[in-house]
Amino acid sequence: MKRKFHHPAPSETELKHGPKYWRSLDELASTPGFKARLAQEFPEGASSIEGVDRRQFMKVMAASFALGGVGLAGCRRPEANILPYGKSVEGVIPGLPLYFATAMPIRKTAIPLLAETHQGRPTKLEGNPSYTPHGGASSLHAQASVLDLYDPDRATAHTQDGAKLTSAAVNDLLAKLGSDYSSTGGAGLAFLAEESASPTRARLVAKLRSKFPSAIWAEYEPLQDEPPLAAAQAAFGKDVKPLYRFAKAKRIVSIDADFLHAESGSLYFAREFAKARKVIKRDDPMNRLYAVESTFTLTGSMADHRLRLASSHMLAFAAALANNVMGSSPLDVLSQGLDFPRQTEWLEACAEDLRNHKGECLVVAGSHQPPAVHAIAYALNSYLGNIGLTVDFVAVESSPAASITDLAKAVKVGAVKSLVVLGGNPAYNAPAELDWAALQKSVSSVIRYGYYVDETSAAAGTHLAAAHYLEAWGDARTVDGTIVPVQPMILPLFGGLTEIEVLSRILGEENTDPYSLVHATIGKLTGGDETAFQKFLHDGLLADTTYPVVKVSFDMKGTGPLFKSAPAPAALSRSNLEVRFATDHKMDDGRFINNGWLQECPDPISKITWDNAIFVSPRLAKELDILPKDSLIQVARIGLADSDRGVEMAPVGEVTINGRTVRGPIHIQPGLSNYTIVLPLGYGHAVTGRVGEGSGFNAYSIRTSTTQAFATGASLTLTGERVKLANTQEHWSMEGRDLVREANLDEVQDPHGAGLAFVNAIGLEAHSPPIYGEEGEKMTLAEKATLTPRGNSLYESPDYKGLHQWGMSIDLNTCIGCNACIVACQAENNIPIVGKDQTLRGRSMHWIRLDRYYSDGKADGRAMADLFGGEPSGNRDIPEDPQVSLQPVACMQCELAPCETVCPVNATVHDDEGLNVMAYNRCIGTRYCANNCPYKVRRFNYFDWNQRELDKLYLGPLGPQGMPELVKMVKNPEVTVRMRGVMEKCTYCVQRIENGKIQHKVKMAKAGRPGDVVVPDGEIKSACQQACPVDAIDFGNILDPESAVSKAKAREHDYALLGYLNIRPRTTYLGKLRNPNPHMPDYDKMPFSRIENANKNHPPAAHGEEHGAEESKHGHEETGHTSVKTNTRIGGLS
Amino acid sequence: MAHTADSTHPTPAILAEVKPAILPRAELVEHNRDFSWITEKICGIIEGKTPTWWWWCFGVACFVASFTVIGIAYLVATGVGVWGHRNPVNWGWPIVNFVFWIGIGHAGTLISAILCLLRQKWRTSINRAAEAMTIFAVVCAAIFPVFHVGRVWYAWFLFPIPNYNQIWQNFRSPLEWDVFAVSTYGTVSVLFWYVGMIPDLAVLRDRFYNAGNKLRSSLYGFFAMGWRGSNRHWSNYEMAYLILAGVATPLVLSVHTIVSFDFAVSLIPGWHTTIFPPYFVAGAIFSGFGMVLTLMLPLRAIYKMEDLITQYHIDCMCKITLATGTMVGYAYAMEFFIAWYGANPYEGFAFINRAFGPFAWSYWIMISCNVITPQFFWFKKVRQNTTMVWVLSIFVNVGMWFERFVIICTSLTRDFLPSSWAYFSPSIVDIFTFFGTFGVFSVLFLLFIRFLPVMPMAEIKAVTPGADPHAGHAHH
Repeated sequence: MKRKFHHPAPSETELKHGPKYWRSLDELASTPGFKARLAQEFPEGASSIEGVDRRQFMKVMAASFALGGVGLAGCRRPEANILPYGKSVEGVIPGLPLYFATAMPIRKTAIPLLAETHQGRPTKLEGNPSYTPHGGASSLHAQASVLDLYDPDRATAHTQDGAKLTSAAVNDLLAKLGSDYSSTGGAGLAFLAEESASPTRARLVAKLRSKFPSAIWAEYEPLQDEPPLAAAQAAFGKDVKPLYRFAKAKRIVSIDADFLHAESGSLYFAREFAKARKVIKRDDPMNRLYAVESTFTLTGSMADHRLRLASSHMLAFAAALANNVMGSSPLDVLSQGLDFPRQTEWLEACAEDLRNHKGECLVVAGSHQPPAVHAIAYALNSYLGNIGLTVDFVAVESSPAASITDLAKAVKVGAVKSLVVLGGNPAYNAPAELDWAALQKSVSSVIRYGYYVDETSAAAGTHLAAAHYLEAWGDARTVDGTIVPVQPMILPLFGGLTEIEVLSRILGEENTDPYSLVHATIGKLTGGDETAFQKFLHDGLLADTTYPVVKVSFDMKGTGPLFKSAPAPAALSRSNLEVRFATDHKMDDGRFINNGWLQECPDPISKITWDNAIFVSPRLAKELDILPKDSLIQVARIGLADSDRGVEMAPVGEVTINGRTVRGPIHIQPGLSNYTIVLPLGYGHAVTGRVGEGSGFNAYSIRTSTTQAFATGASLTLTGERVKLANTQEHWSMEGRDLVREANLDEVQDPHGAGLAFVNAIGLEAHSPPIYGEEGEKMTLAEKATLTPRGNSLYESPDYKGLHQWGMSIDLNTCIGCNACIVACQAENNIPIVGKDQTLRGRSMHWIRLDRYYSDGKADGRAMADLFGGEPSGNRDIPEDPQVSLQPVACMQCELAPCETVCPVNATVHDDEGLNVMAYNRCIGTRYCANNCPYKVRRFNYFDWNQRELDKLYLGPLGPQGMPELVKMVKNPEVTVRMRGVMEKCTYCVQRIENGKIQHKVKMAKAGRPGDVVVPDGEIKSACQQACPVDAIDFGNILDPESAVSKAKAREHDYALLGYLNIRPRTTYLGKLRNPNPHMPDYDKMPFSRIENANKNHPPAAHGEEHGAEESKHGHEETGHTSVKTNTRIGGLS
Repeated sequence: MAHTADSTHPTPAILAEVKPAILPRAELVEHNRDFSWITEKICGIIEGKTPTWWWWCFGVACFVASFTVIGIAYLVATGVGVWGHRNPVNWGWPIVNFVFWIGIGHAGTLISAILCLLRQKWRTSINRAAEAMTIFAVVCAAIFPVFHVGRVWYAWFLFPIPNYNQIWQNFRSPLEWDVFAVSTYGTVSVLFWYVGMIPDLAVLRDRFYNAGNKLRSSLYGFFAMGWRGSNRHWSNYEMAYLILAGVATPLVLSVHTIVSFDFAVSLIPGWHTTIFPPYFVAGAIFSGFGMVLTLMLPLRAIYKMEDLITQYHIDCMCKITLATGTMVGYAYAMEFFIAWYGANPYEGFAFINRAFGPFAWSYWIMISCNVITPQFFWFKKVRQNTTMVWVLSIFVNVGMWFERFVIICTSLTRDFLPSSWAYFSPSIVDIFTFFGTFGVFSVLFLLFIRFLPVMPMAEIKAVTPGADPHAGHAHH
């Protein structure tokens, strides 16, 4: 806009000769007002300055000066240098994330991933959908691994004897090491590395061997997660490993194998397993899983028949099963001493079932089991014709590495002058009898390459900081052999090295750059095709590089030697206990000890966070006299959790085996073999970061090389002390409630029964008026979502006019309880951890949690009978042999959300697409919403978790404030970081929904269809859904009848948790099915939770005439209206 | 009356008119005390030298009150986590305390308003102190809902103040109703208390003026608003007082009804109960009278006011306590009956869990204090034993605190999904902050008895025989 002074008055000559211009009608009219204003240079307010003194001027201008001083600092440029975001990676759109393919290597496998990066910093990992066996899913550990990248406690510098080393010095050091030993052929040089699936490392190791033929290359892994090659060698005469095809297996026998979690390739197997378990229509087939195990694993929790048996008895069991399946076998002698209740019937029925499914069954042995057990499993699979159908054997290269015991011998005799420890943490987890830390100190020069400064670094002169896999170039092979790239998302934050770089520098390679090393390896495979390499990086895998399937034939003779030294199963008792060294669900071998997400993630079975514990069976607990006394009446269960005001007070025990003792809290775990005590590995680090410090006890300290997985002859004594365990679920029983609705497959498939609609007969809604009235019967799901047919309500339902209506379906039948969703949600939504102390105070922040219930069919909830006489209810003790029901629970986005009506400030409201949204800025924190949430999924920020140190929360403003820069980097920029005093909860990943909508809109606008804004199904995935390995979660638009979620919700076994409350949750569940074998001795007509439900709601005494009529209405007479007597379950070996 | 007695006729067998014998009413002011005595007695408390015991009590009360102040300051600086709250017990002690204090505040207005409308003359000597108690209890109560929120600096979001974001309050939320209910109640209670005090303030003004204390005279004079005691003043005053009594009467019922909605409107088993409004109101009056007895009996003893607060007063209050306590007991029983009759297993469990679950101890404390204790008041001997009455009133207070604890904590600890069940225990900050509110209350109450007339002199005079124009004559 031009000002008046831009148009000066015309000069005299202009006035005389030029054309007459006027600046406005006012001038033409020559109004006095215009004349007055013309005289002013600055029209507004200027006159007040005119003719005033300096004082007046200062007064008028003071405000301007003040503002200038505050805002612009006198127009000086900032002194700090800023870097323009001028040059950036191709394709970067500021504000939008970029995705790169990479992979997380772990032992002999890797999980292909896509890393989400924001301006060059990875914040979230997803499974790489290009790798079809995983279908875009990822695991708990993959989800959590991004946090390790930004761990402030990781090794941040290379050090030698406490002094920092520059990168150049490190390079010299490594080069010198190589040149020093080149003359001796490597004599005196030794390496101790982790197992690896990296082809580049294999190539470099081969070079190393040829350059330093006398050097020792040893590999050590504390966890055995692949079947021993010795068994395959003996059985087939080849170096092969089994690759199970669970999707094709209708009957599965697992012999102490946790193939859903602890085995390598568990992600692969879990997906396949779930495929054969998914039931969509009532006649769909479903697999049957027999799990025999000593500890309580996720696999066991999915089992249709679970047998508790000591790990040391597995060989006898396998032999007995083989005997039964094959009629007779030379292995009969091995089964001597096996003893469990109703053993003959059990084995016969199971064997019969297997024989009836030749070629479509599978016997799987746990990797930690000795080769003999695997040999029997191979024999069974061979006999049952499964090889090539439900199990393939693929060729793998045997690793010629020495063992850690061999290396230790060499060190002892002084044959090692320089030791390079590549990764791992042998000083912490090496077999106890080696006393590795002392041994390592006896070597004159130890170079330790590791991610953390840990026990091994403490015993090494030189520590080289390792790069995180998200900072490093590398490659790896998945469980089926597909080669995948490990691509860095970010330059090493602290100049960390990669393993292949270290090796190549020692080798004196010309080119030590890891990228070039990988490039060279892959180049060899692709014939130097640059496009293929680019495609490899882009897709995140090299197609057709799976391990070749080998035709094998079982040879009984070869396996003979394996059985010769097999010990007879020892009779176990309180004085002769078996110890099972188990893979911890979260810590793996201990490498995740400083990962707060994993520490705070509850163990899926025990629900313990931040610690491990000595797990004992209820039977043993009773014998030790630590089983809590039962309650006066069943319903209240006072004291059953043995808790002091809600906190699990675990008695401290000492486990002694072969003269070694470890001390830890005892947790009574139902479902364990009676005299097996389980010690999860991976805790109790002496040297670790702030998160892992003081967490748990170190079970490695009593584990020797001969007892890597289990040992007998242990004793457990009580110290009399008690310590607190942060258990997130105090109550283990469903109390006969209709929460997880279960049925047996034969009930569902009974033509006279209700089929999959059994869920309707269980719920309380079956007895309450239908929510939608009679008209509801005719309504489609979409109409139900948008119309408000409820009669006489004062309140209008929220306005559901959005184009999308979001909903979720969770299949309880396939959920294996792996916890990947919990950590995926945590990573996606910037959910803080609260620490052990606050977890103990019941303030964990997870937006999605996994409820775990035990049932033994005895609880009948007849509290009144207990109180006023009558037959007392049975379920007073912790069950010895329960069934487990798992249920993931997050915000259900209720359409008539009880949280919304009670918020006084409208901070939680509904949007028109059916989301129950939180306005954090509006929330004042009355917490009424959390009280009124029947699912208890709302989480309150009791402290400033993000701004305060977790051990100094109670110091308030006196404590340090602020988040470390490194920790800030992991935060998802698309999600608010909540402050203290506000409520938070699951939003169905609203940021992903909005992103998806925007991207789709842009895409459609570009395609010339701007009106087409409905996002197609599958384009938006919530974080939990995306991570889920078994596709148990469907999420999408329920208005679209073709969407996966609509189809899931249309299934007969879809039900709403607490549906009777008429809050209309948008998340619904698909009922859980069990598939027990009617011929088995532990067969029950109904799942235990169902029996409890029936007994509670329809106890025999109250079973009157009026229910008779209803029974016919509800179909099958045993779907919930009769009291059911439980079959006695089969206990462990006693 | 048309009837005239004719003594010449013989007395008929059946009387034409029944003349009920007039039972002597209990004297509201005993020993025929005159106006001057009453004035001297009540004003004497204010005019006399501050007693030593007052200073001691005041010092101790201030010290105790500092617990609340420090506790709240620590809470605001650090976070709500310093209290014992957890998932699923997101309301713990603070809301228990809130309902407890607001309940105590009920007796004052009930005595002032409802008994005023019902022309219960015995209210006069206790209403002033009871009203003061109401106001101070509301002050103590208000501390908790305000400071229990996560971000107290945004608590003004609760008020419908026009704002740039154009976000309105949620008028469906019982907490929002609470805001209006409690603030209205507080305002009306203060007004009622103040208006009733005006004639007495004028008396103090005049007395201090005559004694030459200009400062206090003008202070009392300011608050006496120029009261001269003219007929017109009295006429307007009586009308204003009556209107306020009319306004306050529904509030007595509404406040605790709305407080009960905090629970009744939710869907948590144990909260989701239609009996709550009457049950809460009865409970509130019960606890209010408990607290009035707790406070008045020592006051009566200290200032030797047995002539003003007579045995008859105590008797009346005990009877009301008995009546409301029994109502509360009935409500407890009815809750169980409905839980059983409703056949909803979740509801049924909530009540069984109350009585026999991990918080059974608190339930049985509640039952014994609230249901059993008042039954002693059936006995005249108990009612006449002031020590006994005082001890029992303490039990009532304790019981009513536990009632709120039982309702809030047992229901929240075990609701729908057993996976979320947990135990609740308060933190030390919880305990100290609550303890401190007794200090806050005492400080205010001590200031009240020191500086304001603890009894309405004008009203007491009105119920003495001396106020009756036929004083000294027969009752006709």
